[in-house]
Amino acid sequence: MKESLIYGKKKVVTGNHAVSYGVLLSKAEVIAAYPITPQTQIVELLSEFCASGLLKAKFIKVESEHSAMAACVGAAAAGCRTFTATSAHGLALMHEMLHWAVGGRLPIVLANVNRAMGPGWSVWTDQNDSLSQRDVGFVQFYCESNQEVLDTTIQAFKIAETCLIPVMLVLDAFVLSHTSEPVDIPYQDDVNKFLPPYKPKYFLDINDPRAFGGLTSPDHYYEIRYKIEEAHRKALKVSEEVDNDFYQIFGRKYGLVEAYHCEDAKLILVTSGTITGTARQVIDEERSKGKRVGLLKIRLFRPSPFSQIKEILTKAEKVAVIDRNISFGHSGIFCQEIKSILYNEIRRPMIFGFVIGLGGRDVIPEDIREIIDFTYKADYPQEMVYFRGLRI
Amino acid sequence: MRWKFANNSEEYMDQGHLACPGCGGAYAMRLALKALGKNTIVVIPACCWSIIDGPFPLHSLKVPVYHTAFETAAVVASGIRASLDIKGKTDIEVLAFAGDGGTLDIGIQALSAACERNDKIIYACYDNEAYMNTGIQRSSATPYGAWTTTTPRENFKKERKKNISEIIAAHRIPYVATASIGFPDDLIIKFKKAKEVKGTAFIHIFAPCPTGWRMAPELMITISQLAVDCKVFPLYEVFDGVKYVINYQPKNIPVKEYLKLQGRFSHLTEKEIEIIQREVDYNWEILIKKVKLYD
Amino acid sequence: MKKLDLKVKDYPELAISWEKTLINKTGTWRTFYPKYFPKTPPCNYYCPANEDIQKYISFALKGKWEEAYLTILEKNPFPSITGRVCYHPCETGCNRRNFDESIAIHTIERFLGDYGLNFVEPKRKIEKLTNDKKVAVIGGGPSGLSCAYFLLLNGINVTIFEKEEYAGGILFYGIPGYRLPKEIVKREVEKLIKRGAKFIFNKELGKDFSLSDLTKEYDAIFLSIGAQIEQELGIPNEEANGVLMGLDFLKTINLKKKVKYFGKNVLVIGGGNTAIDCARVALRKGAKVKIIYRRTKEEMPAVKEEVEEAIKEGVEIIFLTAPVKVVRDKKGKVKGLECVRMKLGEEVDETGRRKPIPIKNSNFIIKSDTIIKAIGERVELNILPKEIIGKRTILADEYGKTNMEKVFAGGDCVTGPKTVVEAIAYGRKTAYFILHYLKNYEIPKKEIFNLVNYENLNIYYFEKQKRIEEDKLPINKRKRNFKEIVTTLSDRDISYEASRCFSCGVCNNCDNCYVFCPDLAILKKDSEYEILYDYCKGCGVCAHECPRNVISMFFEEAK
Repeated sequence: MKESLIYGKKKVVTGNHAVSYGVLLSKAEVIAAYPITPQTQIVELLSEFCASGLLKAKFIKVESEHSAMAACVGAAAAGCRTFTATSAHGLALMHEMLHWAVGGRLPIVLANVNRAMGPGWSVWTDQNDSLSQRDVGFVQFYCESNQEVLDTTIQAFKIAETCLIPVMLVLDAFVLSHTSEPVDIPYQDDVNKFLPPYKPKYFLDINDPRAFGGLTSPDHYYEIRYKIEEAHRKALKVSEEVDNDFYQIFGRKYGLVEAYHCEDAKLILVTSGTITGTARQVIDEERSKGKRVGLLKIRLFRPSPFSQIKEILTKAEKVAVIDRNISFGHSGIFCQEIKSILYNEIRRPMIFGFVIGLGGRDVIPEDIREIIDFTYKADYPQEMVYFRGLRI
Repeated sequence: MRWKFANNSEEYMDQGHLACPGCGGAYAMRLALKALGKNTIVVIPACCWSIIDGPFPLHSLKVPVYHTAFETAAVVASGIRASLDIKGKTDIEVLAFAGDGGTLDIGIQALSAACERNDKIIYACYDNEAYMNTGIQRSSATPYGAWTTTTPRENFKKERKKNISEIIAAHRIPYVATASIGFPDDLIIKFKKAKEVKGTAFIHIFAPCPTGWRMAPELMITISQLAVDCKVFPLYEVFDGVKYVINYQPKNIPVKEYLKLQGRFSHLTEKEIEIIQREVDYNWEILIKKVKLYD
Repeated sequence: MKKLDLKVKDYPELAISWEKTLINKTGTWRTFYPKYFPKTPPCNYYCPANEDIQKYISFALKGKWEEAYLTILEKNPFPSITGRVCYHPCETGCNRRNFDESIAIHTIERFLGDYGLNFVEPKRKIEKLTNDKKVAVIGGGPSGLSCAYFLLLNGINVTIFEKEEYAGGILFYGIPGYRLPKEIVKREVEKLIKRGAKFIFNKELGKDFSLSDLTKEYDAIFLSIGAQIEQELGIPNEEANGVLMGLDFLKTINLKKKVKYFGKNVLVIGGGNTAIDCARVALRKGAKVKIIYRRTKEEMPAVKEEVEEAIKEGVEIIFLTAPVKVVRDKKGKVKGLECVRMKLGEEVDETGRRKPIPIKNSNFIIKSDTIIKAIGERVELNILPKEIIGKRTILADEYGKTNMEKVFAGGDCVTGPKTVVEAIAYGRKTAYFILHYLKNYEIPKKEIFNLVNYENLNIYYFEKQKRIEEDKLPINKRKRNFKEIVTTLSDRDISYEASRCFSCGVCNNCDNCYVFCPDLAILKKDSEYEILYDYCKGCGVCAHECPRNVISMFFEEAK
């Protein structure tokens, strides 16, 4: 693979390969991964990069995702920029080590291609895999397009290393991962400017021998845990700054959330991932019909951008949250989040929760239109959650 | 006995560590680091050493330690290795130092993978033949006949001990060795060899736990010597998975002498001791055959 | 551990250590504490002279021959002699005997003795020789010479009165040259003279001077006249020509004079060392020699090895046989000895041995030309004042003090016939008491013995090693000469033998304690170790792995 064929060009690439390019440009030094559909293409291309010498990284072909994250933990602890990718069961298997990456304050970047959990076996998209890891302490970004995937990958390293917190970027299986879109591949020099080499604050140093992660008594544990919370608060600020810095160099920015036609909207849809793209189209149509509808795209899930969400949603009368996930026995997870953010506001909209598209079932404009119509007509949400597209 | 290495005064461990009196595992680390020296990074999964090293903010070793999850010693070591290699720090050794549970049971998958990749790490298993840190539960390293809290009284362990060295040797990594803390120079020599190896080295250390073995702590060394001399734990090396070398000719002491010093075997009848003796003899015969196979 | 009052801002981002475990004083866990507690090796314990055998062997191991030699000299001035003739109870006590074979201590002592004789010049301590005190030693045998040595060493003028023409007593006149060459004795005496000893030869107590003569002139007198009166058999015809006295016989030979009535067939009576010496000497003089002894081989008081050598050389020992009557010819010359067969009775005598009883009608005659009586010696008491003598010996306490002012005594004349090394030991002890008496020296403290038994050792660290064998003159080359049988070994051999020493109870820096401590609580210093009690958890591994029982565990008293 020749460098001249890559950098500074617009290329038509899949979401998976957008991740690979992002990692290449970020000059990850250690990569550890285990194959799983639909993620595999990410690391296949990275293997190519490594093999061709384009990427000077060690690729550890581990025997499981648990070990993939563990290898990243080791590599990051020794002071390298590290990356891994996975999906669904792989992420679930990593769970323990996700905690380790967070507690160890290791700036590992993880790309998770959203895939539904088995059984029955599914390779298609939904968000239950990544949302199940909500509380481990990873920063989570949900991406809408392949360009956003590439850009977020680069941003992820910067946020992670600035805040000493691992970052998970999430993209939908197949809809993004295997779908080709034209993507601007930045120049390496520009990325270098944006993302200088990783200088670890803590690393395994034979000249300053310390123990990392030893037995921590109740006397100390709480304070150190609180430090993780502090890191998340910092990450909220840093993510915004990083997005702005990115814009300065590359001319693209995404925000932590994106408000689309929300200024005067009576009804605001809340979406994440690729459903956002579909919803955008429907909003445009509805607007042309004169309906005052808007769209709030949640890009940064953790840390939660409370203030932006509050500011945007409190102006609306109704909010419809579209969840491609479910917390069984309750409702969609984004919906719960939005409700909890708005609960203490004096002026707050009615919130309707919709679960849709589990296991990769297509979410089409018609579904979005139905959700808008339903929410428009309803006086208030009679159900905690509405199941759209379920054949009853 | 004249010491070659064990009495050198280079120490990479501090006093005040939290091991029980007469801890074989603590002592094994002392020797391992004597062999490996300052340029070493140690990975410790969940095991007694998670405690011994000292609670945060304390640390008893003069080399860096990464405490990690139970099953990840080998792969975290691999990760560190990769990181060091990419930074050109090839003069630093990575030592994964795990207990028998973390090696023979929960950690065997990651260990097997590291061996298959032949990552340049040293993996040392300090084997005290049960989950001691959690309070003496049986592991796959617990030998036949032993009492543990999960193999109580007449339900003493009826299964044989998993032969981890053979499993690892089957990966054909360049170096596998057994070592006993009763033979400090031999142990140190093996760690020095492990350092020179191009690829994975695995050292299986016999490291008694007086607490869990229901044994007087002062017997820590004697029992480790007896284990070797009774052929319960022969000292040998395997090069490239095929070439076997026996490092020490056992004194051929009946296994009973080894068993009778330990409370965990106190319930055994003559018949059961006979079973153990036969097994030990048989294992030795097999070992001899393996040595001859290559000659 | 002290509680840390830290705020969130004080913490690092993760649980990363910032302190060494040295702040954990794990010594508080301890119930028992180890201590370097040197003990007495059995060799030292069983040596009648209390030589520090372990110490001189350790010097020998390092090739420090002079230091080794001087170590012996602290307790025994004549290792060249004891190395040859001592019955070495040290070797009987040696713990190595239970492992393979005891250390050949006597060969080492002998080597060092010869080394000292050849290479170490005595230093006469002029500055300490104050001339203000004078001691007379009566009798130049082992205890007299020993006493003189230790007095000289401490600046006392010593004059030795010797009734014979040479010094050495039994060493010169009794013990045959094949065991102890006269040359050796002469050289040791010369050395003593170099140290300042004055000898007056051919002067005999009770004949040439009396005790009271000396008490006027000297500040103290040491009696070491030995036990030289030979026991009679008390049987008919004992006065026949050809019936000789053992010591007398040996003396004649040692003076290279002709023995009257010495025939082809010699019969020696007795089971002690004198009997064996007589027999072997007679053999060398070309006779056929038989010994009769009234008990069995087990009860023989002679040194076992000497008995074995005698038998090898061709001496026939007839056990359970006692003399009844000397058979003589018309000229009054010995023809033979009528003997009776004995058996061991149930009764036990004061030595703990079963008393022999004659078997009726078992008399028989052994033909012989010469009969040598060697059944024991006693002390010449007639020449001594009544207040200092008992029934059979001079009365003195363990420091040689008698009932008479200024008069001290030691050796065989106090103990009855015993060994050379015991006489030497007595001489030393009395010398120090005389120093106390004359110059107010402290009496050397009685040593406390914590004997190390074989069970106390950790023998795991020892390997079987063959005991060194001395070269011996072949039997067929021992005829008609008095060449020394045993040869002094080479320094290489001695180093080897020294390397076999367990060093029981005495640290020899093997490093085991340092090597095996799981808590790094033992520090290695130049030639010793320090236990860090702040950290020692009292596991006892150091004590257990000490091969030589130097470290002991003690109960930690509540503080």
